[in-house]
Amino acid sequence: MNFEEMRNQITLLKEKLDRQEIVNDHLLRETMRTGVSAINKNKLWVYVCVVLCLVIYPLLYVSGTFSNAFVIATCLMMLLCFVGTYYIHRPVDRMNLMTEDLVTVARVMAKFRRQYDQWMYYVTPSLLIPWLSWAVYEFAWKNAPDGMNHWQIALPMLVGAGIGMLIGYFMHRNTVNAARKIIDQIEEKENN
Amino acid sequence: MDIKEQEFSRMVRENKSTIYTVCYMFSNDEDEVSDLFQETLINLWKGFESFRHESKLSTWIYRVAMNTCISADRKKRRQGSKVPLSMNINLYDDEDHETKQVRQLHERIQRLDLIDRALVMMWLEGMSYDEIAEVVGISIKNVGVKLVRIKEKLKQK
Repeated sequence: MNFEEMRNQITLLKEKLDRQEIVNDHLLRETMRTGVSAINKNKLWVYVCVVLCLVIYPLLYVSGTFSNAFVIATCLMMLLCFVGTYYIHRPVDRMNLMTEDLVTVARVMAKFRRQYDQWMYYVTPSLLIPWLSWAVYEFAWKNAPDGMNHWQIALPMLVGAGIGMLIGYFMHRNTVNAARKIIDQIEEKENN
Repeated sequence: MDIKEQEFSRMVRENKSTIYTVCYMFSNDEDEVSDLFQETLINLWKGFESFRHESKLSTWIYRVAMNTCISADRKKRRQGSKVPLSMNINLYDDEDHETKQVRQLHERIQRLDLIDRALVMMWLEGMSYDEIAEVVGISIKNVGVKLVRIKEKLKQK
């Protein structure tokens, strides 16, 4: 196989594709519609997160079921997660796929996934485990209905959290592997 | 359709084969090509108004298509409505001689890493070293060196 043969094959492919319609009116209309709504959708998510943080505290406070310290800690944790996620996503959001070169895009993506990886493995457990223990205490011991066994409430909470963590871990693992591959390629390019 | 939309539609139709070729070389199945193709069109549309013609239109299209393919999260399939492409061929399944040739090219290019794949594709399409360097973000001299290495790599495999 030489480059000349590959050149002929790519010409063949282009000729084949030229004979196809590929792009229809429906696709174009959908593209132009989605292109605009995608930007607004991102902004909407930011607003939803901020509003949730602002609303949860007064709601939990008014209900009076949980201790003030727990309510404040929950809100602070949500805010911290929001700020952390925003910080990690910021370079990707700012990245302009229309003007950046391939190496820059690949590097930003790799950095994003690496930070996301660190967030998942170190920050999330160190926040979630103490919070979950505290939540179990608040729900199953401090505020348990009279006559109900504490473990009847605590066990489903712990099992649910465990299943959630496992699903999250497996979903994340594949992304991390792909990121490692890109990082290796970039490092190889920079060393050459 | 307003004038901007008409211009965009014309540009996409004129360059459909280029966009499809890039998506095809970065994908493993028909669905993935379709997802990447639609994602590329969305990114082209987002940047269409601000495109200043500082580089050639074809170079810009390459840049957007390749960036989309490199940065796409393969695990996350396209959200929202997905419109099927209008094609009556399947480059992954058809068994005619031409398609087999195309598939052979696809298999060889797929063995390369992402950046090398982009480099070799642009070279095969006849783009100059200047244009390739601009899209990839490496020096012109480096383009030549890398192409020689890729050639060696392809021979070995």
